[in-house]
Amino acid sequence: MRKLKLSVLVIALFLMFGFNANAQDANTILKNMDDVMYSPKDMTGKTKIILIDKAGKEKTREADIIQKGTDKRIFRFTAPSSQAGIAVLSLPNDVMYLYMPAFGKERRISSSVKSQNFAGTDFSYDDMESKPNSEKYTPKLLETEEGAYVLELTPISKKSSYSKVIMKVHKTHFYPISAEFYDKGNRKIKEGISVYKKIGNYWNAQEMSMTNLKKNHTTRMIMSDVKYDTGLTDDDFTVRKLKQ
Amino acid sequence: MNKLAEGIVKARWLIIIIVLGLTGFFGYQLKDIKLDADVVNSLPDDDPTAVLYTNIGNKYGGNTMGMVIVQADNIFDTKVLEHIKQVTDTVKYIDGISTVTSLTDVIDIKGSDWGIEIGKLVDEYDLPTTQTQLDSLKHRVMSKEMYKGNIVSEDGTSTLVLFTLLDDADKQAVAKEIKEKITKLNLPEKISFGGIPMMMDDVSNLMMVDMRNLIPITFIIIMLVLLISFRSARGVVLPLLTASISTVWVLGIMQLSGYMLNLVSINMPVILLAVGSAYTIHVINRVNECKEKDRRKALIISLTYIIIPILLSGITTAFGFISFVFGAYLTMIRDFGMFTSLGVLIALLISVVFVPAFVSAFSMFKSQKALKKGIKSEDTIMGKMLLTPFSNLIVKHPKYITVIWIAVMAISIWGMFNIKTSVNMVEYFQKDNPTRVIEEIMQKKFGGSIPVFVVFKGDMQSPDVLKKMIETENYMKKYPDVTSTQSVADLIEEMNDVMGEGKKIPDEKAKIEQLWFLLDGQDIMSQLVTDDLDEGIIQSKFASAHSDDAKEFVIYMNEYIKDNSTDDCQILLTGMPSVYVKLNDSLINSQFSSLAIAIVLVVLIVALILRSFPKGIYAAIPIVATIIILFGFMGITGIALDIATVLVASIALGMGIDYSIHIITHFSKKFDEVKNIEEAIKDSIMISGKAIIINVISVAAGFLVLTFSHIVPIQNFGLLVSLSMIGAGVGALTLLPVILILANRAKEQVYKNLDNGLKYIKNKKI
Repeated sequence: MRKLKLSVLVIALFLMFGFNANAQDANTILKNMDDVMYSPKDMTGKTKIILIDKAGKEKTREADIIQKGTDKRIFRFTAPSSQAGIAVLSLPNDVMYLYMPAFGKERRISSSVKSQNFAGTDFSYDDMESKPNSEKYTPKLLETEEGAYVLELTPISKKSSYSKVIMKVHKTHFYPISAEFYDKGNRKIKEGISVYKKIGNYWNAQEMSMTNLKKNHTTRMIMSDVKYDTGLTDDDFTVRKLKQ
Repeated sequence: MNKLAEGIVKARWLIIIIVLGLTGFFGYQLKDIKLDADVVNSLPDDDPTAVLYTNIGNKYGGNTMGMVIVQADNIFDTKVLEHIKQVTDTVKYIDGISTVTSLTDVIDIKGSDWGIEIGKLVDEYDLPTTQTQLDSLKHRVMSKEMYKGNIVSEDGTSTLVLFTLLDDADKQAVAKEIKEKITKLNLPEKISFGGIPMMMDDVSNLMMVDMRNLIPITFIIIMLVLLISFRSARGVVLPLLTASISTVWVLGIMQLSGYMLNLVSINMPVILLAVGSAYTIHVINRVNECKEKDRRKALIISLTYIIIPILLSGITTAFGFISFVFGAYLTMIRDFGMFTSLGVLIALLISVVFVPAFVSAFSMFKSQKALKKGIKSEDTIMGKMLLTPFSNLIVKHPKYITVIWIAVMAISIWGMFNIKTSVNMVEYFQKDNPTRVIEEIMQKKFGGSIPVFVVFKGDMQSPDVLKKMIETENYMKKYPDVTSTQSVADLIEEMNDVMGEGKKIPDEKAKIEQLWFLLDGQDIMSQLVTDDLDEGIIQSKFASAHSDDAKEFVIYMNEYIKDNSTDDCQILLTGMPSVYVKLNDSLINSQFSSLAIAIVLVVLIVALILRSFPKGIYAAIPIVATIIILFGFMGITGIALDIATVLVASIALGMGIDYSIHIITHFSKKFDEVKNIEEAIKDSIMISGKAIIINVISVAAGFLVLTFSHIVPIQNFGLLVSLSMIGAGVGALTLLPVILILANRAKEQVYKNLDNGLKYIKNKKI
């Protein structure tokens, strides 16, 4: 059940398109970044999730993703074979359904725990939330580096597991390059890096990786076969579709 | 020997420079010396039970788990919950902490008709405040096995904040920081700390306190004994210098070879102070007694005379310690045996090489004035008050002495049958020690803290294996000392329930694999199954600390395992009860087998060097008698055989035999000289007896200092070694002379006859 929000993150962070602006302040930069990330109408693609433990041992999972807007998506696992067919449907207002083919039925899931990591990956529920960053954080422009703005993001909700996030945003394209996550003890606990490529009109996060610095555990998510604006409808995001 | 003695005197400056140089070098190493308080590390690495236990602890993180215990009148109170949250947050943000679980930070999964609800048991940002909310929380906690008795005690007065450490964390440092920061919160609730990392911090503190207190006390006590005995500066300085140099050397070598000081070897400096000074005492005593005017010559004569007995006594003592390398179960005792015996040998070397070199280099001979006065042993207080009447009694009434010894031995043999063993590590701490207090709380409120693991080797996603785990857990819970168990099978049952198929293990593997998807990556999974899914454990706790209960439980479990373990699902039991049982058996076995071997070898060594088998036997009699009395004493007073007291017999043998050796060599030389038993015995007791008594007093006093240790087995160890030394000394001065008198009467008669014959021949000629 903790896989649910993976799609949110995936979608949120890699839906990009070219955007150019001379942002002046932190709020504008963040707003521009949200615009870059949440622009496509819909998306389909495949993702490969590689989990790397501290000994360097890898575990791989694969899934198909479809998404409409920012709040409707289905995440369907294709590998490993024991987990193939497990699917998660996310709908607005934190409504989620989990389908397990071995049981032949779906269960509705509600979760209020956002700080937990989901199944084996280093992304937390919080990381995967598709809520625009400008609604989640209060930004502060720390410095302007060559090619990037460095923002300090302070969570608005006191329930966030982070005290701050230091994010680098591309100066001309406004996609996030890297992020450092600090816990409430003000220790850096996670580091995320993303690599972007332009697909059609949108910037796409081809690969994202997140490293848990405490456990020295890394998750890489690699996207492929990405198509944008193929005309998905709300009917593609129903419980009936989930079971197919 | 004469040449060696001359060589030592000749090369005195070279010897002094080398010894001081090495001391400086080893002393420099001490700056990095470290304490190893990791009790788990001290389990042996070649015993299957212990290896399995250590591996499980490391593999599933049990050895890096700790807890903060919060006690209040009622845990379900907003103020108390707030404080629990404060403790939780404090621990969470300490470097080296991996996960924290507590009442205010624990996942709660509820299944319902429509689906699953995942949340926190308590919303840490919105703690329950109304009585209704608090009551409903209490009801929820008490209804789930996962919380009741695990996070909150059944009576609702205690709760645990459980935490795990990162693998590479410095356990002791983290434990220390947790204690400091939580104590600083100054909460009204009663706060205590438990778990292996916390215990390590306790143990390490105890070790430091012991070392700081005991070494100076021993130093002063031995100094006083020497001062009273010798009444000269060198009589005090040289023995202490020997002991100090050997301590520095052995600690330096220990550091260089990568060993750390542990719970037992921390006492090595105290022991070396007591033991290592002995050899120098004999050297000085001998030089003092030598009446040769040219003091340099006197030194060489004395040295020639004393080298063999000293070598012999040093080697046998070292042998007593080294027997632990082969006999002891815990590695900390093996390390202790190895390095203490090395220390003894170094002290020996220093005594026969460095001390004479030092004496001749700095002309630290007894003043000519004292010599001229011709103070004899008989004239000293000890001589007048003790030795003279003593030797008279022995020579006149050997039978009385024999009868007394036989009577004491008879009582001791009766007492031996009541001897107990104690292997529960918690009992090794004093009653008011935090570790022991925690254990009591844990036993009363949380079903104990003694970890039990049942290991399952097989496909962890197979329905058969998981069902067998559930069956095993039910079997375990039937045992009165086991209250709760946890395994991945429980989680699978719960997830199956959440999927709406009831709280049971599904029959199809495919279902289990998919339920696994929900659990993957949860922190708890790494505490229950391996990454490769080929091994998993049932974690449980055992409530009783008694060895007998542990033994009974192990038998109970083994019966089940024998009937249920298969190739596809191999079942193994480990945990502290198993280790206790093993430890208990090995204590008694190793005690008697290693002691027997030690006795035989010591007899042989003595016989070989004295070139007489009967002498080897005679030398062993007083000390064997002492060891019997030692066991009798332990049986009668209830001092148990434990990790430290198990060492006493071998140490007593190795050190106590020295007294016999001194008496026998002295007696033999004198007897050959004067051919009169009475005179030879008196001379032996007056001269060697004096050294023995000084040695007994200084060694016994040195070991008695250990009774101030904070670690119970070390206290008993100190007491018992002291008593054994007194016993061995008294044995060598009473029982041994009696034996020598009886054994040599015939020989004396021969001498007398020979003498009379010679006189007769002489007379005839005239």
